[in-house]
Amino acid sequence: MTLVLPTASPRRKANFTAYELTVFGVVAALFLLALIGPMIAPADIYTSNMLETLFPPSAEHWLGTDDQGRDIFWRLIAGSQLSLFATVLVVILYSIIGMIVATLATVGPRWVDELLMRVTDIGLSLPGLVVSLGIATVLGPSLQSGIIALALTGWPMTARILRTTMRQTMEQPFVEGARILGVSRTRLMLKHVLPNSLDVLIVKWAGDISFTMLILAGLSFIGVGAQPPSPEWGAMISGARGNMSIAWWAVAAPGAAIVINAVAFALLADILQVRRDPSLRA
Amino acid sequence: MAYLRLISQRLVMTVLTLWGLATLVFIMIKLIPGDEAQVAAGPGANPEQVASVAKRLGLDLPVLQQYLNFLLRMLRGDLGTSVVSSKPVLTELAAVLPSTIELMIFASIIGTLIAFPMALVAASYRGKAFDGIARIVAVTGGAMPAFWLALMLQFFFGNVWRITPISGQHSFGIASPNVTGMPTLDALLAGDIPAFLDALAYLILPAFVFAIPFAAQVFRLLRASLLGVLASDMMLPVRAKGASTSRMVLRHALPNSLLPTVSLMGVLVGGMVGGAILVETVFARRGVGSFLANSVALKDTYAVLGAVMFVGIAVCLVNLVADIITLMLDPRIRGTQFGAGAK
Repeated sequence: MTLVLPTASPRRKANFTAYELTVFGVVAALFLLALIGPMIAPADIYTSNMLETLFPPSAEHWLGTDDQGRDIFWRLIAGSQLSLFATVLVVILYSIIGMIVATLATVGPRWVDELLMRVTDIGLSLPGLVVSLGIATVLGPSLQSGIIALALTGWPMTARILRTTMRQTMEQPFVEGARILGVSRTRLMLKHVLPNSLDVLIVKWAGDISFTMLILAGLSFIGVGAQPPSPEWGAMISGARGNMSIAWWAVAAPGAAIVINAVAFALLADILQVRRDPSLRA
Repeated sequence: MAYLRLISQRLVMTVLTLWGLATLVFIMIKLIPGDEAQVAAGPGANPEQVASVAKRLGLDLPVLQQYLNFLLRMLRGDLGTSVVSSKPVLTELAAVLPSTIELMIFASIIGTLIAFPMALVAASYRGKAFDGIARIVAVTGGAMPAFWLALMLQFFFGNVWRITPISGQHSFGIASPNVTGMPTLDALLAGDIPAFLDALAYLILPAFVFAIPFAAQVFRLLRASLLGVLASDMMLPVRAKGASTSRMVLRHALPNSLLPTVSLMGVLVGGMVGGAILVETVFARRGVGSFLANSVALKDTYAVLGAVMFVGIAVCLVNLVADIITLMLDPRIRGTQFGAGAK
């Protein structure tokens, strides 16, 4: 007689609806485009061609050309790497800061927790865009400054949410078990409590990417982020603004690219949120 | 007395926040590349002049001393001096603030008028076509870059269809005497209806740019909390009594959903001050935001940091007021000051 072992926890199949799969597909496609964009774009999108300035959309130039005669469609494709990856980088950077703050607040003595949470409260009540503008101005206008400025102002919400979740995770029996087994405090935090608290952030990340993309483009538009001739989308809008009355498509197209990305990630956040909390389902 | 204690805690938090912001601004001033005294004395100043300016500004003191002096200056309301105009930043900002407030008030009114009916109808017909469309519209509305929306609306309504004015505050020659700094209110005070309508026409597009993301967020929260109340056990007896959908939504769900919504609206109005940087610039309106953007363009870093401090203070105060209103609206907290309803 063979011994029948109980199978590992029965995995329910995640039944995704067609709508959910579409959104996942679009987000994946946007990432892929950002990855290969600069490779597939023709080289002449970085050089001026004064014979073809401000052409309207046509079969040859799908979204027209800008004031330097560069093809807008291909600049958008090439720029998607800058816009999307810079946004993702900002979110990664401030998530790391948030994780460090939340972990220190959870392991540290009470006064460290108290101090860090008060600093977090201060950070939460400051207007992010305005403070980032100040920081980016001081650092000198560039895409790097914009990324640093947003990373330095974006972390408080992550820290706040994660600290609450980590406190709850600390109460769970498996943490008690690990402690009894003699797992060190550092290892307990980094290997057990933190990884088991991160799912709350996954939902937040999608929404954060959507939101951060808008702010990063805004910084470039004011002139403290990416600088022309960079094909970053905010900088493209800023550069095309002067000729709007004769070539409105040069402004409309990069904005539409931002909207497509921001909407896709917002819908993704919405789906993940409903998956985590099915009571929200329509 | 829970009520007073909560408000005083909130006040302490506001003071701490402003202190944090002032410290941040001080650090940023110290991080600016280049010598502060050299910048303040002007490019053509000789070393003696720079030294005397440094002495006058207290830049020869130890950093900690400078920090304390800086905090004292902030307390006195001295936000620094613009290098370009040589005027105090506070004076310049005070002159343009009413224009920004006017814009924010109109935007919140328009946003509320869009969001509330949409959320009430969507919650009443959950899962139906209107609900679905409204949700998609809200997600899209919340994911549009404000400055781009401003440019597009300005181009199509102003340039192509010529329905609205393109930029500015009022048409040439129809300005009313400046009393409050708000063109619409000034016109009303002067009893000049055509001037009022003129100023309103200039206000409508920028107000809409703010109103759309505002409405999108308010809609999403209000719809979610209306549905939450409708699904709660509290609604069972109401439903059993045979109440109509509209009565359930308006009489029972809405009052119970107002609290989080008002709280969110406070936060969003605070956020508008930041968004004003982009929108006021596009529409060439006077305001705190366009002052900040101009200072960035002129590389007037001291004016930028002064304005950052000013906007930070404004946002903190808006949030404070919103929190106090929320506290006053909440019967669970309001009741406790009379010792009733306390648990």
